[in-house]
Amino acid sequence: MRNPLRSEAEAFQFLIAVIIAALVIVGAAYLNTWLGVAATVVAVAGIVWWLRQEPDPANRTE
Amino acid sequence: MASYSHVEPLEHSHEDHPPAPHYSSRVHPSILGMFLFIASEIMLFGAFFTAYFFVRVVNGTPWPTPPYHLPVYVAFINTLILVTSSFTMHWALQSVKRGNVFGLRAGLLLTFLMGLTFLITQAIEYSRIGFNTGDGAFATIFFCLTGLHGAHVFIGLTILLFMTVRAFRGHFSPEDHRGVEIGGIYWHFVDVMWIVVYTTVYIL
Repeated sequence: MRNPLRSEAEAFQFLIAVIIAALVIVGAAYLNTWLGVAATVVAVAGIVWWLRQEPDPANRTE
Repeated sequence: MASYSHVEPLEHSHEDHPPAPHYSSRVHPSILGMFLFIASEIMLFGAFFTAYFFVRVVNGTPWPTPPYHLPVYVAFINTLILVTSSFTMHWALQSVKRGNVFGLRAGLLLTFLMGLTFLITQAIEYSRIGFNTGDGAFATIFFCLTGLHGAHVFIGLTILLFMTVRAFRGHFSPEDHRGVEIGGIYWHFVDVMWIVVYTTVYIL
C-alpha cells in the first residue's frame, strides 16, 4: 500500500492525484450537480485504488 | 594516570552511554513524527469541514450568502501560485539528491517567496472582501476554513525559512537532506488542503 506521507516524492505524487481529481469533480459539477456527486464518488474511489497500489521502489527514500 | 589502552567487551559498551535506540517502525522517527502531526492536522481540518457541511448542506445556507461575493479569480491565481510552489519544492529536493546546490537554494527560495505571496494576497483579499466573521454562518465558516489554512501556510513558511537559511549555509548534501524531505512533505500537505478548500468553498 502506498503511503503518501512516507516521502516528499510520494506526497508530491499524491498532490498531483488530488489536483486531477479536483479538476474532474469541478468539470462534472459545472455540467450537472448530480454528475459532480458521481464524479466525486469515482474520484475518491480512484484515489483509494491508487493508494492501494504498491509504489515504485525507485521512488522510495527510506 | 589511568590507562585507556584496553578495549571494553562489546556487551559492556552501553555502560558509558545509552544503548542505540531500537526502531520498531520502518519509517525514520523524524518522518514518523511529521506523519503523526499531519494525521492530527487532517482531523482538525475534518472538524472544520464538518461544520462547513452542516452550515451549507444540512442548514441550506446560500453560498455565498447574498449580497456577498467570493473573489474566485483572485483565489484562482493564488491557487496557481501555491501549486507552482509545490513544483519548486519538489525541484529543490530532486536537486539536493543530485548534488545540485544551486537548484536546492533556488527551489527553496522560490517556494518561500511564492508561499509569502499567497499569504499576502490572502490578507489583501480579507481586507477587501466586504464581510467579516460576524456576518452570518457563511462568513464565519469562510474565515475559519481559509484562516485555518492560512495559519498552516504561515507555519510552512517558518519551516521553509529555516530550510532556506540552512541550505544557504551548506547544511544539506545528497546523503543528508532529511530536513528538506520533511519540510517538503508538510508543504505538499498544505497544498493538498488548499485544493480541497478552494474547490469546496470558492467553486462548488
